[in-house]
Parts: sequence; structure tokens; C-alpha cells
Amino acid sequence: MMEKLYGYAGQTLKVDLTKGKIIKEPLDRTLVRRFLGGRGLNGKLLFDLVGPDVDPLSPNNVLLMATGPINGLLGLTTGRIDITSLSPLTGIFGNSNAGTNFAPELKYAGYDNIMVFGRSKKPVYLLIEDEHVELRDASDLKGAGVFETTDVLKERHDDVKVAAVGRAAENGVLYGCIIFDYWDAAGRTGMGTVMASKNLKAIGVSGTGSIEVADPDRYYEVARDGWLALMNDFGFKTQEHSVLGTAVCVGWGNAQGWLPTRNFRESHFEEAEKISGEEFRDRFSVKDSPIPAGRACMSCPNRCKRYGIIRTGKYAGTRGNIEFESIAAFGSKCGVSDFDAVFHANMIANDYGMDAVSCGNMIATFMELREEGIIDDKFLDGLDLRFGNADAMVEAIHKIANREGKIGELGALGSYLATKAISEKAMYYTSNIKGMDSIACDPRAAKGFGFAFAVASRGSDHLRAHPVFEMIKLPPEIGQELFESPEAVDLRKYGGKPEMVAWHEELAAITDSIGSCRFMHASYYTQYPVPELIHKYLKLKGDVHSLKYHEWISAATGWDISYEELLRIGKRIITVERVINTRRGIRRKDDTLPERFFKDRIPKGPAKGEVYLRKTFNKMIERYYEIRGWDPETGLIKRETLKALELDDVLSVLEKEGLVV
Amino acid sequence: MKKLIFDPELCTGCRACELACSFINEGVFSPSKARIRVVKFDRDGIDVPTGCEHCEDAPCMIACPVRAIYRDEETYAVILDPDLCIGCKRCMIACPFGAIGFDEDKKIFFKCDLCMGDPECIKWCFTQAVRYSTSLNVNTTKKIKMAKKEATAQIRARDLR
Ligand code: SF4
Ligand code: SF4
Ligand code: SF4
Repeated sequence: MMEKLYGYAGQTLKVDLTKGKIIKEPLDRTLVRRFLGGRGLNGKLLFDLVGPDVDPLSPNNVLLMATGPINGLLGLTTGRIDITSLSPLTGIFGNSNAGTNFAPELKYAGYDNIMVFGRSKKPVYLLIEDEHVELRDASDLKGAGVFETTDVLKERHDDVKVAAVGRAAENGVLYGCIIFDYWDAAGRTGMGTVMASKNLKAIGVSGTGSIEVADPDRYYEVARDGWLALMNDFGFKTQEHSVLGTAVCVGWGNAQGWLPTRNFRESHFEEAEKISGEEFRDRFSVKDSPIPAGRACMSCPNRCKRYGIIRTGKYAGTRGNIEFESIAAFGSKCGVSDFDAVFHANMIANDYGMDAVSCGNMIATFMELREEGIIDDKFLDGLDLRFGNADAMVEAIHKIANREGKIGELGALGSYLATKAISEKAMYYTSNIKGMDSIACDPRAAKGFGFAFAVASRGSDHLRAHPVFEMIKLPPEIGQELFESPEAVDLRKYGGKPEMVAWHEELAAITDSIGSCRFMHASYYTQYPVPELIHKYLKLKGDVHSLKYHEWISAATGWDISYEELLRIGKRIITVERVINTRRGIRRKDDTLPERFFKDRIPKGPAKGEVYLRKTFNKMIERYYEIRGWDPETGLIKRETLKALELDDVLSVLEKEGLVV
Repeated sequence: MKKLIFDPELCTGCRACELACSFINEGVFSPSKARIRVVKFDRDGIDVPTGCEHCEDAPCMIACPVRAIYRDEETYAVILDPDLCIGCKRCMIACPFGAIGFDEDKKIFFKCDLCMGDPECIKWCFTQAVRYSTSLNVNTTKKIKMAKKEATAQIRARDLR
């Protein structure tokens, strides 16, 4: 008998679709000791299993789904799952995360992760009911929407938790997502497109097992302290985020001048209040908001998911969860202030199963290209795709998902590949980094966020770091103490930002690897040592409570992990992702921002005049590389870095390929 | 007497209550061992916490052939004594709420005992969708809430007059 692996379910599920074979294996304990689970585990597996020449949509790519050691436990949010694969959108490391009951359910069924290999000849779905695991025919579900697929599986298999892909992914839209239980998307980098390419329509799971922790008494104490840290967090106390969901950022971003508007031309939307969180609450919310409701991932007091219904008008019957990112993508980025249309766009994107961010960015890009005279009506298949035209925007979504006309054909590729196919000039109007469309924050107005986009391992993305730190008016002394500069707390300043982004990235890597939520250490600042520092500098009275990932993981697993080791594991995870990208050709030149942000000043609004200073940016990259142990010339990783992180197997592969300095 | 109140209007579906319950009672995290259960209707965005109502005229208590189910004098909780239980499942079938569970590992039935008057689940329910209070409180609160709407309408109508 092997020693029990506390916190984990203990098994890996390997599914070979080409052979139709299912294998159960014990979870690799040395691997999880070093990479924890979730994103960390998946990244290392992707490195081990998929060579640098593999086409993301070939059967040789592997789709990886993993939970972490705290998924399904009681604690400060324990319901998020990680999906990793090569991305068909960017060609590099692909990765997405969703908050869903699928995650804990998989563990209760007895599995920490699923690895999907090959390609099935006919459409299938994977059914997991505790120890019974089988592939079932899904021919009847081919081309079905996410909602129908989810309905059918829930009906057939007694309310299983469902992960499904929709028609967009099946049609080869490169940013297809995997949608869990109707609304929760692993949205970014085309993970659904990979799943569809394998002819895997859905996964259903139900489980009745239990998860044990190594030290129950200590676990309870640590979990409770993390919980109390949130209750005492001054951001949480306002209840704004809980009550309005992520949509709170519409008003917030607009006031701070970073709400991308009309495809990043501007960063302030004059009609923002029409698509705000308050508006959603008052018009569409079903639960008794503002007090307190909302919907939540497992064991999360924050409940940021907003559910609503449109009751009257053209889009009556539209329903579902909505997030800030989709509101901005279909709203301000497209210049659309008709909230009904934005909400409807969000729902159909969900049902087609495509990433609302990439989809909205794509449409916004087309709008600008049309305005610049780069594409014409013929390209747009007769659509009057002006900024602000809500109907045309909704129509464009259908065309893209079904790949109708030129707009559908190219729109399916995402804004980078689409503009590349149009012309050199067109490429100026896409906001993407490493091929991935940018999320809703203008880098010029938020210097830390902007920097985070440039270095994020999955391309332009805020969630690798999510440095809200610069947005919430913390005492500058904390910036100084943690990130070597008081400017770290200032949205518009550059000082301390590489350090700030690096710290956030490391913690985020941990969060994604244990199965918890970003918002608990970077939105609210409950993670050690921030509450301690706030206490010190604001001279607060009473006890300090903080979320201590290291103690949390230790109590759950029985390992003894210190705060320092925690950050080292975070570094290790980020380094492996960089290695995957290095092998796929990513170098220093790719760690940059779209030209527009270096050249065009923000024309109006609260951030008027802001631009990203190229010289400063270059210095920041150098500083960041220094922190990461990467070579400032090339962006390759240094030998000593890999050795220090005990990545010797990785090093020997890179040595052979001459990709190390 | 106080009892657990389950309020779907306030429930976020976070299931912290389930986990707190299975942990305090069984020392593990396992919704299938929890005495409280949240039924989720994801398509409609509704979550309904369910559990033992500690009924006045408890069908489980009546159905039990060996009197393994009794009412606790102090907390007024309906309690199942696993030592007396013969594992016949009559209570499980009789309970209209599905509040009696079966532990597959230990092969015994279980139900909520109100944690002997100190319910763990409520300590983790941030929105108070599950709370420990008297039934009277609940109907008073509801009355006031509904009446408030009427009153607002009255005030509005009066202003318009
Ligand atoms: S904050 Fe939102 S996303 Fe995070 S765990 Fe809670 S409900 Fe889920
Ligand atoms: S803890 Fe409260 S809000 Fe969460 S599921 Fe239970 S009853 Fe609902
Ligand atoms: S009162 Fe105790 S036994 Fe009953 S549901 Fe709550 S935690 Fe479980």
C-alpha cells in the first residue's frame, strides 16, 4: 500500500480516443509535490508529452484538465479547474481556467486530472460516474449547442456536471471554449477547439467519494483564518464586487480611464452607465440583489457570478451569467451601449461555445478596419458593422460561429491571424500579444496591467498576474516594502511594476495550481503578507487574519511548505510555461505591447494623454528578466535558473535543442 | 424552538455548508456525507439548500420500527441514534425531504442533529441562506418584506394624489 496522498483524490484518468481506451493510474506524487496540481501539473505534462513541432489541432496534441489539492475542500474558494493544451489560436502554451462544480465533482469521483490523447473516429462523450468510466456515442449531439448538449447529458445521467463544446469549436473557430454547466467558461486560447478536434463533444461527471486532509484540526484553523481574512478585507467589506459581480469593473474602469472603447482607440466610454453592473442588477438580476445573493463557485463567499434574464423586448428570454470581460468585449469595445444586445451576444457566444473576449475583440477590430477603409462591405457580407451598431454585432457573431462569408472565415481566426491575412496595415488595429486578443484594460492607463499583458505566458492577458494592487489605493509604504517602489500602488506610474507583476504571477500560478480563485489574493488582498502590512502601515488594532497558501496547502497535504518555497514553486511553474513557449519560438521580441500603445496617446477621458513609454518599457523587461533569470538579449532561460528550480530534465532537453543560455 | 431555515432566495450555491457539515460530522470533505444538500438548477440560476426540517410530526420518527429516531429535549432536534438503527431504510423512504442519508463506507444511516444546538453549516454561510432561528422569525420577516412593498406602493400613490 502506498502512503495516502492527502488533499488529492489520488488517481489520473488517461483517455486515448484513437484507441477508445481508458486507463486509470495513481497520481504522480513526485510531480504534484513539485507542481501541486492544476496549471502547474498540466504545464509540466504538456512539456513532457507534446513536442515542439506538434500542430495544436492534430491528434498528437494532448488536452489536459486538472484540479488541485484544495479543490472540493472547505476554504476560501475551492472550485476552479485548469485546462491546458497547445493553443490553436496562438500556437504556443494554451491555458484556461473555470470556476465550476465540475472540478470538485471530478475529485469526489476519484480523479485529480484527465489527460485526453488522440482523436476519436466518431463523436463521443466521456462519462465518469465514480469508478465507472466509459466513452459513449455522441453522433446525435454533433452540431448541438452547449445548452442542448448540457441538457441532454444532465437528463440522461442524473444531473451530472457537464463540460461541453459547441458548434463554434466544431466549426474550427480557433477560440472555441469549454463550457461547464451552461455558463462557466474555460474561455481563452481555444481549449474547446482542441477538444472538438479530438471529436470529444462533452464530459459528464458525478462522484460520491470523500477527500481527506492530513491534519484536520490545523486545516480547520487555517481555512477559518483565510475566511476571516476575507471578511476583514476592506475591499470585501464594501461588498461592491460581491453585489455587482465582475461587472463592477465597468464603472470602476471607466472612472479610472482604462475601459477599452471602440477597439482600444479610447479608454473611456461615454455611455458606460448603460452597461454597468448596477444596470444589470436593476434590469436583469433574478436573485434578490443587492442583498446578498449572486452565485458562487464552491466554497466562495464572494459569489461574483451574476445571473439574469431579459424579460421583454427583442431579446426577451435571454438569460445566463455575465462577466465584465464579455460586457466590455461586446459593449464598450464595440461602442455598443444597448445592454440587451450585449447580454444576448454573451449568451449566444456561450451557446456556440466561443470565447466572448476574442469574439468581441474580433468584431471590434473589424469595425475599426471598416472605418479605416481597410475592409469593405463585400468583406462584411453586407453587414453595416459600424461602432455602436448592436444588431450588426449580434449578426456578426452568428456569421463567425457558422463561418459564413469572408467575415466568418477570417473572423474565426481571432484578430491576430485575421488581420495578418488582410494586410500589414490591418495588423496595426489588433490589440493582441503573441496572437492572443487583449482583455478589457488599456495598458496605457494601467501600467502594471499593461506590463503583465506583455509577459503573460498565454499571450495578452491580465489573469497571469492580475495586479489590482495598483488600482486600489494602498499605502505607498507597502509598495516600497514589497516591490521596492512607492509607485507600485499608482496606476499610472512605472516604478516597482516588474517586481509587482512577478510576485502576482507567482501567487497566481499557485492559485491556479491548487484550484482556488485569483480574486482572493489579487482583487481582495487577503494573502500573506499583505494584510500584515496593511495592519502595520494603517496602524490598525486587533488581530490580523490572512490567507496563507503555504499553510493551507501544508495542512491539506501534510507537506511542509514555507512561503518562500511557495514562491519558488510559482517560479518553477512559470519557467516551464516559458520553456514551452521558447520551444515554439517565443523570444524577447515577442514580450511586447501592440504598437498602438507606444504610439497613440489616449485621446480623452480620465487617462487623457497617457501612452506607454517604450524606453521605460524596455527597461522594465530587463528588470523582469533579471527577476526571472532569463537572458536580457534573447529572452531564453538561463541554465542556472533551471538548475536552481530543479528542472534538470527540462534543462537537458533545452541543451540538446540549443535553447538555453 | 430554533431550527435551520433554508432560504433559496439568498443561497449562492457555494456549498460551503455541505462541506462544513461533512467535515464536522465525518472529518472528511464529501457532499454525499453532508446532512445539508444544495440542489442546483444551473440553467435557471437557482440554488436550493435542503436538509432536515426537524418536523413537528416527524414521519421518519413514526416510520422507525425500533425507535432509533427520537426528539432531543434540549434542542428539539430529531435525532437518529446509529447504535439503535437496524439499517432498514424506512426513515429514508418516509422523509419527504430526502434528509436521511446512507453512509456507503460505514453502512449506516445519518441525518442532521443540529450539531447539538451549535450548527456548523451556518458559520460558513456568508449570506445567511441557512440560518438558525425560530420559525416565527421567518414568517415575521417575510410579512414585513412583503408589506414593505405594499407600503411603498401606498406611499407612492399618496404622493401622486
Ligand atoms: S470570486 Fe467568483 S470566480 Fe472566484 S471563486 Fe468566487 S464565485 Fe468563483
Ligand atoms: S453556504 Fe449558504 S449560500 Fe452557500 S450553498 Fe449553503 S446555503 Fe447556499
Ligand atoms: S446543523 Fe450540523 S448536522 Fe445539521 S446540516 Fe448543519 S452542520 Fe450538518
